Amino acid sequence: MKDLFFLTFIAYVLLLGLRRPFIWVLLYIYIDILSPQRIGYSIITSLPLSLIAFAAAFGGWLALDRKEGARFTLRQGLMLALLAYCWWTTGNADFPEEALTKWDWVWKALLFAIFLPLTLTTRARIEGLALSLVLSVAMIVIATGLKVVTGGGGYGELNFFVDDNSGIYESSTLATVAIGLIPLLWWLVRHGTIFPKHWSVTLFAAALTFAAFLVPIGTEARTGLLCIAALAIMMLRYTKRRLLFIAGAGVLGLTALPFLPQSYYDRMATIAEPGRDESASTRVAVWNWTLDYVQTKPLGGGFDAYRSNRFTYTMPVKKTDGNTTTIEYTEVEDKARAFHSSIFEMLGEQGWPGLAIWALLHLSGLWQMERIQRRWKKADEEATRWIAPLAGALQMGAVIYLVGATFQGIAYQPVMLMLVGLQIGLATYCLRIDSAQANLARSASRRAAADGQMRGAVAA
Amino acid sequence: MIDTFALALGHGLLAFAMLRLVMRAGLDEDPLIDSLTAETKSNRKQASAAGRNAARRAARGESDVPEEAAP
Repeated sequence: MKDLFFLTFIAYVLLLGLRRPFIWVLLYIYIDILSPQRIGYSIITSLPLSLIAFAAAFGGWLALDRKEGARFTLRQGLMLALLAYCWWTTGNADFPEEALTKWDWVWKALLFAIFLPLTLTTRARIEGLALSLVLSVAMIVIATGLKVVTGGGGYGELNFFVDDNSGIYESSTLATVAIGLIPLLWWLVRHGTIFPKHWSVTLFAAALTFAAFLVPIGTEARTGLLCIAALAIMMLRYTKRRLLFIAGAGVLGLTALPFLPQSYYDRMATIAEPGRDESASTRVAVWNWTLDYVQTKPLGGGFDAYRSNRFTYTMPVKKTDGNTTTIEYTEVEDKARAFHSSIFEMLGEQGWPGLAIWALLHLSGLWQMERIQRRWKKADEEATRWIAPLAGALQMGAVIYLVGATFQGIAYQPVMLMLVGLQIGLATYCLRIDSAQANLARSASRRAAADGQMRGAVAA
Repeated sequence: MIDTFALALGHGLLAFAMLRLVMRAGLDEDPLIDSLTAETKSNRKQASAAGRNAARRAARGESDVPEEAAP
């Protein structure tokens, strides 16, 4: 039944795309995020949906799109350089087989992010992409939020549509993506034209925001809490009554406290005391190992290079015997632990060059969005007043991603790469408006000069 | 039940959004950039037409003057 439902929807979108091929780009986004082929049971699981959607999106653009305003920019060049570099490290990887498995999805995510900005040539397309991103993630977030409210939850215990703990269906990743898309969601509420301003849109957005906050609570993902903190800090910039905002957030937080389970407190307490938790202790040990590793291999060890790590560390273990609790420091041996940080993931797998390209890609995005915000913040016409808030929302999303990425190996997270594509698309679109306005101003002054010349000639 | 509700709601909204996008005139051609470009073109046309006219009049004016001033 589910299979039929998904297939009908996909067939419907493929049909819509016959009239406007850009819709196929949105279809790819939907399939890449939600992975209906992994949710279904029968026929849909054997169909190469991702490939079909990508072929349709790329082929449609190549053959049928006007391509007016499509530009290849420096940040797309950075992604292309990263793609080429990853290809090279995969060929020289420490673990060739495992590296190939990761390469298999990384190249697709990077290639799509390079391609995406070429299609974002109009405001409607930029908004359509933002809306499709938000709605695709929203389905997972709504289901998760409702399960938390109805009593499910716990770290690694919440059932998503797909229970294989990979991609966006990994609890910390979902928490980061869900929180990171909140600013974009509220931009859609304020400036959206597909679903224009209406009380029902605001109500949906409020419920979705609540559900997004429930994701890190329900999954007990510590990174999610840091992402919420990052979101709150950044919102201060856009809040007129800052004191009221801080007080409101404090009251809201305090009100929520009694409803949280004890297991949540226990897990969050390990943020401040990483020594008490094995996962947190391992992180620090893996990061130290990575720093040592790149001293011998500065160009990186290829995907999954972490598999060669092996280390011991001491960890306090609590033992309760009657009324007395003793803490013993025991030595724990660990091996093949994942990087648990995108920074160290890039460093270990792609070495210093890879980390430099990745960092430049994201930092240049923050700077680019800042420039757009400053350039367009005074625009008050309907046609342009949405630009600065969108740049702000994308910048906030990028910062939240970077906070989450510091503690998770999500350097090639497809949703976040799509956000990068959206940033590039917006920047190119703004440059085109600037250039069109400059041309207009120049032509207007030439016309005025010509008119003056004509009047002069007539007067003579 | 929860999964079905979330999937139905999300797909319904996505299907409606995509339909609205397909019906929209500004999906493939941006109205703002198109209007700026059209205005620029019209200015250029006017400027060149005006320039040509002015040049023509000026040229005619110059050649007229000696004829009128001749007697």
